[in-house]
Amino acid sequence: MSWDESVITHYPNYNILNLADEWDSYTKEIVLKRLGPFSAPEYFSEWETSTLKAIVKNIVFDNRDNIIDWIVFHLDSKMTSEIGENQRKIGIPPEDVLVREGISVIDRIARSKFAKSFTDLEEDEQFKIISSLQLGQLPPIREWSRIPQKDLFSKFLLEIVAAYYSHPEVWSEIGYGGPAYPRGYVRTEYGLTDPWEARGDGK
Amino acid sequence: MENKDFIKHNCDHYEGSRLNHLNNRKYGDIEVDVCIVGAGAAGSLLAYELGKAGMKVVVIEAGPFWNPQTDFASDELSMKNLAWNDTRLVSGKDPISMGHNNSGRGVGGGTVHFTGVFFRFHESDFKVRTLDGVAEDWPINYNDLKPYYDKVENQIKVSGPREFPWGPFRGPYPYPEREPISANAEVFREGCEALGIKSTVAPLAILSAPFDGRPPCINRGFCNQGCLPNAKFSALIHYVPKAIKHGVEILSDCMVTRVLTNPTGGSVTGVEFVHDGRNYRQMAKVVILSNFVVETPRLLLNSATSSHSQGLANSSGLVGKYIMPHSGHDMYAKFQNEIRLYKGTPVLAVSQDFYETDRTRGFVRGYTFNAHGSRPVEMAMGLANAGIWGKQLRQVMMDFNFYARITLVGEVLPIVNNSVTLSEEKDEYGLPRALVTFSYSDNDNKLIAHGVAKANEILKAAGGEPAFVVPDTAHLMGGCRMGNDPQTSVVNSFCQSHDIPNLYICSASVFVTSGGANPTETVMAIASRTADHLINRMNKGRLGKSDEVKGRTMEKVTR
Repeated sequence: MSWDESVITHYPNYNILNLADEWDSYTKEIVLKRLGPFSAPEYFSEWETSTLKAIVKNIVFDNRDNIIDWIVFHLDSKMTSEIGENQRKIGIPPEDVLVREGISVIDRIARSKFAKSFTDLEEDEQFKIISSLQLGQLPPIREWSRIPQKDLFSKFLLEIVAAYYSHPEVWSEIGYGGPAYPRGYVRTEYGLTDPWEARGDGK
Repeated sequence: MENKDFIKHNCDHYEGSRLNHLNNRKYGDIEVDVCIVGAGAAGSLLAYELGKAGMKVVVIEAGPFWNPQTDFASDELSMKNLAWNDTRLVSGKDPISMGHNNSGRGVGGGTVHFTGVFFRFHESDFKVRTLDGVAEDWPINYNDLKPYYDKVENQIKVSGPREFPWGPFRGPYPYPEREPISANAEVFREGCEALGIKSTVAPLAILSAPFDGRPPCINRGFCNQGCLPNAKFSALIHYVPKAIKHGVEILSDCMVTRVLTNPTGGSVTGVEFVHDGRNYRQMAKVVILSNFVVETPRLLLNSATSSHSQGLANSSGLVGKYIMPHSGHDMYAKFQNEIRLYKGTPVLAVSQDFYETDRTRGFVRGYTFNAHGSRPVEMAMGLANAGIWGKQLRQVMMDFNFYARITLVGEVLPIVNNSVTLSEEKDEYGLPRALVTFSYSDNDNKLIAHGVAKANEILKAAGGEPAFVVPDTAHLMGGCRMGNDPQTSVVNSFCQSHDIPNLYICSASVFVTSGGANPTETVMAIASRTADHLINRMNKGRLGKSDEVKGRTMEKVTR
C-alpha cells in the first residue's frame, strides 16, 4: 500500500523509546506493553479479528501490523472490561454488542455490494464502505435500526484513534515529547526545546 | 495492568489504620454526626472542616483511594480510569460526553484530574435574573462567598497574577503567578494584545513555590492524568490526609445505594452502601450528598419511599432538573513554527474580556477563554469527534507540534428539560442508570458562535491559521439548585434540603446558573460556607434539627 508515502514526519531521527529509561517505572511498563507481543483476542473470533483489522487500517490510514495489532488488542480488552463506557446514547446497544454486530453487518454489506468479504475488498472499496458508514449512507438494511450507522462509526473511530495515538511509534512520528516524570519540561517557552525533545529536519 | 499499590485495595482509612476490609471500622456501629457521600472537591473539604471542628465524620467514596506515586502514569489512555466511567445513558439534541470531561471516581473526585484553573465567579453570576431577565437569581451573592473564596485560595496557595483584570477580586493571589508560561499561552497573549483584548497568566490551584511539603510544578503537562509530583492541588493530597488526622474515617470502594429515612420520612437516618457485594449501613445525624450532578439526583430518586414517592428532597419536582455543562469548544490554529501543545501546565493564560453581558452581541452572559494545551490522544479524539479521520487525521496529526489551541468556557443557561432522570436500564447494583438529557438553547448557540469567531481572531492575530473547531463541553452543574422558595429549588442557601432538615446536598449540583468560568473554586467556597453553617448549628446544639433557618434564606422571594 502507498499509505505511508503521503504522510511525512517532521522528525525522522526521533525515537521516543530512547527516552524510556527516563520515565517512571509504572509509565514505562504501561507504554512498553503496547509494543507487544499480544495474547490472542478473547472476545473477537478469528474472523471478526481480521475484519476488524481491515476496518482499523482504514480509520487510521496506516497498515503497520505491529500498531494495528496493539489497537485490536486494546479493543478486545475493552469489550470484556467491566469498566463502563462513560455514556451511551439511549437506544444504542452496549458497546460489545454494537461492535460485534457492527463488524458482521459491515461484512454483509461488502458481500451484497461487491460479492466479496470485507477483508477481500480493494482498499478503495473498503474505504467507500467506511466513509459511507460515517455519513449514514450505506444501503438501507434492517440491522441499521438497531445499530445506527453513525453511532457505530463513531464508536469505532474514537476507540481506535485513542489507541493509535497512544502507540510510542506514532508519538515518535509526530514529535511528541511524551512522559516527562520525574524530570519535567524545563524550556517551555516559544521556540525553546529541552535537549532530549524531537528536533525537526534541518534544525 | 499489574497492581502494585499496597494502598489501593484498602477500603477503610482512619488515623493509625488503613485496612482492606470493613471489620475494624472506627465508626461502624455508631451514629456519626455527619456522613458525607463522595470524596471530591466539596466532600473532602467538608470532611476536613467538620472533622477539625470536632465532629464525628465518615466519608463514603465509590472509587478507590489513589496513591499518586504508584497509580498515576504519564499516559492519557491508561489514566482515563480517573474519570467516572460507569455508563450513563444520554439523549437530547446535544448529548453530553460524560466521564473525563466532568467527573471523577475515587478519593479526590474530579480534582484528581482537573486542570487546576481556579476562578471566582463574578457578582453578576449570582443575579442573572435581575440583570438579564433570564434564568434565576441565586439566594446568595458574591459577598456571601467572598470570605470563603479568600479562605480556600489561602488554604491551598493558589498561584496567580498580582493584578487580575476582571470581576470583583483583582488580586494578588497567595502565591506568585507561574513563570515561564508555555508557547501556547504566549501566542494566545500576543494575539489578545494585538486586538486590544486583556489577558493574564491563569490563576491556578498549582504551586508556583513549595508549600506543605509539596514542590512547585515541573511542567510535566499531565494535570488531567493525575499529578505525579503533587504540585497540583487535589482533595486527595490536601484535604483528605488532613481530615484523617482530625479523626475522619474515609471508606473507599464503597458505593452508596440508598439514603435511609425514619418511618415518618421527616428525617434521614443514614445511608446504605455496597462493598464487595455486601450491604452495609452507616447511621448519621446529618447526611451530606457531595456525589456530583448526576449521582446525587440518581441517589435521591432511587431512595424514594412511600412518604417521598417521587424521591427524597423532591417535593418541588426539581431534583435532577436544570443541569448545565459549559460549552467547551476547542479552536485549533496552525502556526509556521512549533508550538508544542504538550508542554507545560495545560492552561497558563486566560481572558475574561467577554465574561459579562453585552447586549450588542445579541445574547446574554459570556465566557472565559483558556489557552489550552493538549496531548495527542485528546487532540486526535477531538478532531475525530469533529468528523476527521483516515488520511486527513493522519496528516493533520503529523503537524501536531504546529497547532495552538484556545478553549471556550461558555455559560449555558438553565433549562428545566436539561435533566438527570432514571432510565429503564439497571447497573450492576440493580439500580436504574441515570439518563442525562441535554440540548443547547438559542442563547447558548449564539454565545458559542461568538466565542468561536473571537478565538479564531485571536489565533489569527497571533500569526496562526484557524483550522478546526471541535465542539465539546466541560464541567456539569445544577440538578439540585439552591433557592429561597421550596417550590422552585431543592436546597436553601446553606445547601440544606427544603424537605428534610438533616439532609444536605453540597456540590456543583446546587448551582443556579453555570457562570462562564471553571467552577471548582465556587464549589469549594460553597462547601466551606456550608461547613461554617454546620459548625454553627453544632455549637448551638441544633445540628440536623428541624427549625427555622435564620436570616436571609427565609426571606420571602420578591420579584
